[in-house]
Amino acid sequence: MNGLKFVGHEEIRIDGKPKITGAAQFVDDLDFGPGLLYAEIVESPLAHAEIKSIDTAKAEQMPGVVKVVSGKDFPFRFGLYMHDRFVFAQDRVRFVGEQVAAVIARDPVTAKKAAKLVKVRYRELPAILNVEDALKPHPLLIHPDLKSYKHVPWFFPQANSNIAHWRKVRKGDVEAGFKQADLVFEDTYTVPRYAHCAIETHGAVGLFDYSGRLTVWAASQSPFTQRNLFAEALAPLGLSHKDVRVIAPFVGGGFGGKAGVSMEILAAALATAVQGNPVKILWSRAQEFYNTYQRQGLTAKTKIGVKKDGAIVALEQTLHWDAGAYVEYGANVVNAAGLSATGPYRIPNVKIDSCCVYTNLPPGGPYRGFGYSEFLFGLESHINETAKKLGLDPVEFRRRNAIQEGDPLTYGSKMNPNGLIECIDKAARAIEWSKKEQSENPKTVRGKGFACFWKAPAMPPNASSTAFIKFNEDGSLNVLVSAMEIGQGFQTVMAQIAAEVLTVPLSKIRVELPDTDRNPYEWQTVASHITWGTGNAVKRAAEDCREQILELVERALGQKREDLYLESETVRSRSVADFALPLRDFAINGIMMKDGTYRGGPIVGRGMFMPEFSSALSDAETSQGGKPNVHYTVGAAAVEIEIDKETGRVRIPRVALAVDVGKAINPGLVRDQVVGGLVQGIATALYEDMRFDAKGRLLNPNFTDYKIPTAMDVPERVIPILVEVAQPDGPYGARGVGEHTMIPAAPMIANAVENALGIRIKSMPITAEKIALAIKSKR
Amino acid sequence: MPILSEFEYFKPSSVREAVRLLSKHKKPAVLAGGTDLINNLKEEIDQPDAVIDIKGIKELSGITYKNGVLTIGAAVTFSELLDSRVIQSRFPVIAEVAKTVGSVGIRNRATMAGNICSAVACADSGPLLAAYEALILVRGSKGKRKVLAAKWFKGNKRTDIKKAELVTAIEIPLPARRHAGCYVKLGRYSGEDLAQASVLILALPGKQYRVALGAVSPVPVRASKIERLLNGQHLSDELIAKCQALIPGLISPITDIRATKEYRSHMCQVMFARGIRAAASRFSGNGPEYGVNLI
Amino acid sequence: MKKKLSFVLNDRKITLEIAAQEVLLEVLRDKLGVKSPKCGCDRGDCGTCTVLMNGKTVRSCIVLAVEADGQRLTTLEGLMKDGQMTPLQQSFLEHNSFQCGFCAPGVILAATELLERNPKPSGDEIKEAISGNLCRCTGYLPIVEAIANVNNALTPPGRERLGKKVRS
Repeated sequence: MNGLKFVGHEEIRIDGKPKITGAAQFVDDLDFGPGLLYAEIVESPLAHAEIKSIDTAKAEQMPGVVKVVSGKDFPFRFGLYMHDRFVFAQDRVRFVGEQVAAVIARDPVTAKKAAKLVKVRYRELPAILNVEDALKPHPLLIHPDLKSYKHVPWFFPQANSNIAHWRKVRKGDVEAGFKQADLVFEDTYTVPRYAHCAIETHGAVGLFDYSGRLTVWAASQSPFTQRNLFAEALAPLGLSHKDVRVIAPFVGGGFGGKAGVSMEILAAALATAVQGNPVKILWSRAQEFYNTYQRQGLTAKTKIGVKKDGAIVALEQTLHWDAGAYVEYGANVVNAAGLSATGPYRIPNVKIDSCCVYTNLPPGGPYRGFGYSEFLFGLESHINETAKKLGLDPVEFRRRNAIQEGDPLTYGSKMNPNGLIECIDKAARAIEWSKKEQSENPKTVRGKGFACFWKAPAMPPNASSTAFIKFNEDGSLNVLVSAMEIGQGFQTVMAQIAAEVLTVPLSKIRVELPDTDRNPYEWQTVASHITWGTGNAVKRAAEDCREQILELVERALGQKREDLYLESETVRSRSVADFALPLRDFAINGIMMKDGTYRGGPIVGRGMFMPEFSSALSDAETSQGGKPNVHYTVGAAAVEIEIDKETGRVRIPRVALAVDVGKAINPGLVRDQVVGGLVQGIATALYEDMRFDAKGRLLNPNFTDYKIPTAMDVPERVIPILVEVAQPDGPYGARGVGEHTMIPAAPMIANAVENALGIRIKSMPITAEKIALAIKSKR
Repeated sequence: MPILSEFEYFKPSSVREAVRLLSKHKKPAVLAGGTDLINNLKEEIDQPDAVIDIKGIKELSGITYKNGVLTIGAAVTFSELLDSRVIQSRFPVIAEVAKTVGSVGIRNRATMAGNICSAVACADSGPLLAAYEALILVRGSKGKRKVLAAKWFKGNKRTDIKKAELVTAIEIPLPARRHAGCYVKLGRYSGEDLAQASVLILALPGKQYRVALGAVSPVPVRASKIERLLNGQHLSDELIAKCQALIPGLISPITDIRATKEYRSHMCQVMFARGIRAAASRFSGNGPEYGVNLI
Repeated sequence: MKKKLSFVLNDRKITLEIAAQEVLLEVLRDKLGVKSPKCGCDRGDCGTCTVLMNGKTVRSCIVLAVEADGQRLTTLEGLMKDGQMTPLQQSFLEHNSFQCGFCAPGVILAATELLERNPKPSGDEIKEAISGNLCRCTGYLPIVEAIANVNNALTPPGRERLGKKVRS
């Protein structure tokens, strides 16, 4: 891949200037004129209850109130992978904060005041607030109609239970594996719920105009998926997909939280109740915490069998996920984790049970890492303990078992080309793994921790990306895609790919934000698949342009097609040295012939990518067969920490993360994903968690008590290491990296704490308090 | 989020006018930095009929030092305390406390007077004023009064202030010709946080010490028992350990989502040991720089 | 009851009538169309609503609009002179300091205040100065690096990057 002029270079991000000058518009920055209405939600104060009655009369009488709606107005179910969710609660509420009714008013103050006047009577039901209670024999059923819910074919709901999906993996013979092992041991690890904490809360504006057109402006990672779900859910109102339009301006952070459809359904539905007026719904920070997706809690029982020489021969993983009240998206997190819960290791005998369990807590859903951060906390902690018991160096132990190209995956198909060993070695070297660090301060102690990671995009086998490229008169171009710029820099990466093919500099390329009317289809901006999938589509669209250009030059000017090529925005010929035709001379208006007629016309390219080799169908009892994952991105991370033995505080002098990105289209942007992702991951290990009281109410729905890191709480040095073992079907060999950078953080920290203190902490987060009290009780 | 309730807004230019407005209204609220008040208005914790902004009152805006007494006007922000020459030179521990309050954008607005009027148990100014034996200057329609810090705090969010009274200033007497101090605050991380426990220590000539603890009781705790043990004595490890052992008996920490009472209690002892050593060494002129986080 | 107030916003004099309970952030955004200050938490925790009042950062979500009477306000919109980004803004661009950009207006103003007081801050001083501005994307190190580089100060160690090939 030598001679690349744009790909592989650290181009400045093309969305930088709008963001740094304040020009970038986010959804709440858009103006909708004096007709704009405001919605306020009436929420359930109870975790589990039957709705007996809703009295809206008083609210309706308040001057300025336009309409009050509730479940009876929208008796529709919806969901991404399983239809278990409602626009508004119907006969019962299932978590504290669930939307029961909405007041639409001419101004936000009136909406808020009127919402307080809506009287809802409930009959309280026992709330199930943890997985153990949900799994007891003959439990109270949170979704009694579960069996009738529509869902994707790769989900397996269990009748008369709170298990919405059970992913079973059976590979080899796990019992035989344990018998053959020299050492078998098991332990249990727990991970609480976490919040995405994008600084922009969710917001959406819906307009159902008098022609019957529904437009929704949303802070969204998933405009097309939203269009699809809106159209499906509201189909009874006579809407078809063509009538629904989703426009997504800049998004103030996603991390998975703005994927799929959560509160946006309200903007779509409410708009239909006030035809002709746009209606805005903006989540408060508190609502952002308790009524969007949360990262699901996990209780993981991990049992491993190893030989004395360090070969892992068997692994059993029992993963119980606290998935919350609705699992239409979260169940796929459970599924993805179940398929990959071996971690990046070659293990012949595997038994995995990954159970998606309903609870009366807020809905779980996608969060950067999609289940992998959660199970890797336990698995990579366990791997470290195993190495210790065997007397092996934990890095060497991982190295011996690292998965390699061609090794069989849990579901039978083969591992893709990868640089895991290179990542392990480079991450270890970056923090001088074998050097024991002595602390100068007698009150502190140093330790080092290591973790491997992997993750595949969790996507339906037919998740597709498309791209249009339109040339302009001056040879500049607009790239139309419907992936979302959520900060990762994807616009710049797409521009680099188009630039590489078309030899047009980035200063002449715009990549447009999604509008489902104008931009072509994209499944969602999730799964770290955009550089790979959308990148392939953009590359194909650019190649389509190039073919049109060269074909036109051949046809109009008689140049030999096979000699023609593009260089610096100009068509040149290998056989005719002085032939040079700038793109701007014909990209829109064509090439004039001697007789004054023209050939050609506006150059518009089209590209599409769908992984046609992927299939989610497999045996329900073993998961064998199919190819549910398109490929894995792998890597390793290592950290040095210093712990204050009295306070329990952790300082991070250095941390390294090596990841095999296939090909870094923009190495600077990738390295900055490593920095940001690691900090987000380290925060889940050290500071953050969601706390609920005995009634299922979230106790810390704010930044005062849900502590996301400030500039003073980051590692002193972050060392990103990019390994490039090409992904054969990726654009220029690239594969995804966005989520992976936070996945190894928690077990890496746990392992470093153990290394420093000899104390194994098996529940996240590993706060200063937890460490200090553990040291105290050990004494 | 809009503020739902309506109120009248006044910006008096004299204390007398402010006091008159306070007595005239049924449920007045005083606005200085607003970092607590505006949130309380939004959450409808406070629903005043009048908001009286004291930032237009000149006499409340200064920091003065005269005859061994530092006077901090009620409208003085924490940023102004940090920037004050006289505080940096004579009362550096006040700046050390100020630096732990919120972050710049909060400190540019928030005031020490507001901090002690909100009087949450975790207020950073509490142990500081307790240790300095500061006086809170209050003006009402019937005149002025001065309240000793120890008598000011009546409970979590409760103070000695009476209806229609205004805090005009805080007086901090210089405790000795030369003194040093140390403030150690427990947060969940290094960035902005509310104190889960705090320890303030003053070191005075003749091996005299003052010790106050914050956020581990509804009101700041002056640890006189510890002071008696310390005073005049050489700071040995044994002595510090003896003092540490007294701490659990002096405080009544709670368990909440910020910290458990066990950790708060443990950390008070750790913070005391580090704080007393830092204060003592600062007194001898070789301690850690003010503002350095000791935990 | 409406109150009349006037203030200077980004070098322009503004006079308007508002109710006493109106919050500065909402008046700026909804009445004056100044959209760079954002609402992130609505209680003074996140700093994305930061504006400069007389050159000092305040969190406009916890300031009453009436308090702006007679004051000088600056938002991100008022930083550029003659359409040119400030050296600080240019440095942020070159260091890929922001990802989603939602916290950027607040961070840039916080850094502006810092550099005004302290043109060559240390890494720790920078971190302290922007610690009231939450950013979930970047891990802060690219922000710190950009601020440190404005006045050709040394790059604090933190984020390792290869040599940048900057083109435009």
